[in-house]
Amino acid sequence: MKTRIIAKLDVKPPYVVKPVHFEGLRKVGLSAELAKKYYEQGADELIYIDIVSSLYQREILFEEIERAANELFIPFGVGGGVKTIEDFSRLFHSGADKVVINTSAVQENPDIINEAAKIFGNQAVVVNVEAKKWDGWYECYTDCGRIKSGRDVFEWVKEVEQRGAGEIFLQCVDADGRQRGFDLRLAKKVVDSVNIPVVVASGAGKLEDIKELVEYANPSGVAIASLLHYDKCTIKEIKEYLRNNSIEVLK
Amino acid sequence: MSDNTIGLVNYGITGNIHSIKKAVEKAGGKVKIINKKEDFVDVSKIVIPGVGSFKDAMEELRNDDLLDALKEKIKTRPTLGICLGMQILSTLGFEYGKTEGLDVIKAEAKPMIVDGKVPHVGFNKIDVIKPNKLLDGLENEEFYFMHSYEVVNYTDIASLTDYNGHKFVSSIQKNNIYGVQFHPEKSREAGIKLFKNFIEL
Repeated sequence: MKTRIIAKLDVKPPYVVKPVHFEGLRKVGLSAELAKKYYEQGADELIYIDIVSSLYQREILFEEIERAANELFIPFGVGGGVKTIEDFSRLFHSGADKVVINTSAVQENPDIINEAAKIFGNQAVVVNVEAKKWDGWYECYTDCGRIKSGRDVFEWVKEVEQRGAGEIFLQCVDADGRQRGFDLRLAKKVVDSVNIPVVVASGAGKLEDIKELVEYANPSGVAIASLLHYDKCTIKEIKEYLRNNSIEVLK
Repeated sequence: MSDNTIGLVNYGITGNIHSIKKAVEKAGGKVKIINKKEDFVDVSKIVIPGVGSFKDAMEELRNDDLLDALKEKIKTRPTLGICLGMQILSTLGFEYGKTEGLDVIKAEAKPMIVDGKVPHVGFNKIDVIKPNKLLDGLENEEFYFMHSYEVVNYTDIASLTDYNGHKFVSSIQKNNIYGVQFHPEKSREAGIKLFKNFIEL
């Protein structure tokens, strides 16, 4: 199976921002423009997370999502502030193919995973896991790495699989935005814990980091943000590099 | 009829019609959203989308009073079912219990059992078994898949796809009825080309 190369947009509408450790937001560009740019570069998929809607407890901005989705003919995952089945439905109608959920599932209502999977199919329900490393364990965080949940990451990913989630989107609070490589052991342990696809984000700072992650943990997909946002490389270059290193990617 | 309008069936809350509409338009087609049975009147082709479960899809079609009209129309109009829209062309579905499908293709939608992660998500090649106009020029292309169920059929297979050594039916065809397990609306230029082929049928 080819490794999917996914562009990750952390959005504070209408801007894509790049947090470091989920803090200190820097504006990168307009989300609709970057979505188009990464699509044209050859992204296999795009993931759009409104990183402030849950934190500020405000409504999801559906028009922004529709604008970003407009010129994309690749899968588009959207999350941030998703609380209800109605939110799922409105996101699909705004152009999302998958809906990404974290805070409301992990903090309040895990049953929403079961409910959404039954209505929309499990392939459409992605659970975002923001893992924070502690001595001897990893804890699920929410709201952009700000709020604890007390839940153990490896137990939680198994639970959400049981509940019907179709994919795990794994972020790492400690590594995100630092561009110093992925938390490889975390990634491998999550991939090995479940039988659903796992997409790993947080940490790519150079091409070798991606190769190392794929070789070590073999995730279904790798999500890239900073490398692309700062024009350190293009998706095309990432794919060429991986292909030259015997990692199968889509042309 | 002559204007070649494609009717996109919008049933319940589960349809992801937005992206299919965009892709058909990109391919040069004209789309009409079918919300009620009367809307079928001036469409010359039909696309059945689908995000969700087999059971809910059939319930929604029934609740929206589209089921009988749809069954009738697909007898005479070229029809394309996409993903779950292909699966419900089958006789039976086994997602959340047993559900009767549209029964235009003798097939069953069953859970994928494979030595790999499920749902099957990602781009894969299609291996054309029986060429048809829909797949014309797309024999070596890769398409985006996102599914946990597969259509089991032995008579109307148009293409197979290999996922970790497991071959499953990635498209079917019976007369003017086509079904694709993958998402052409999410498969870049290859997908747009497939819609072009459908428009030109």
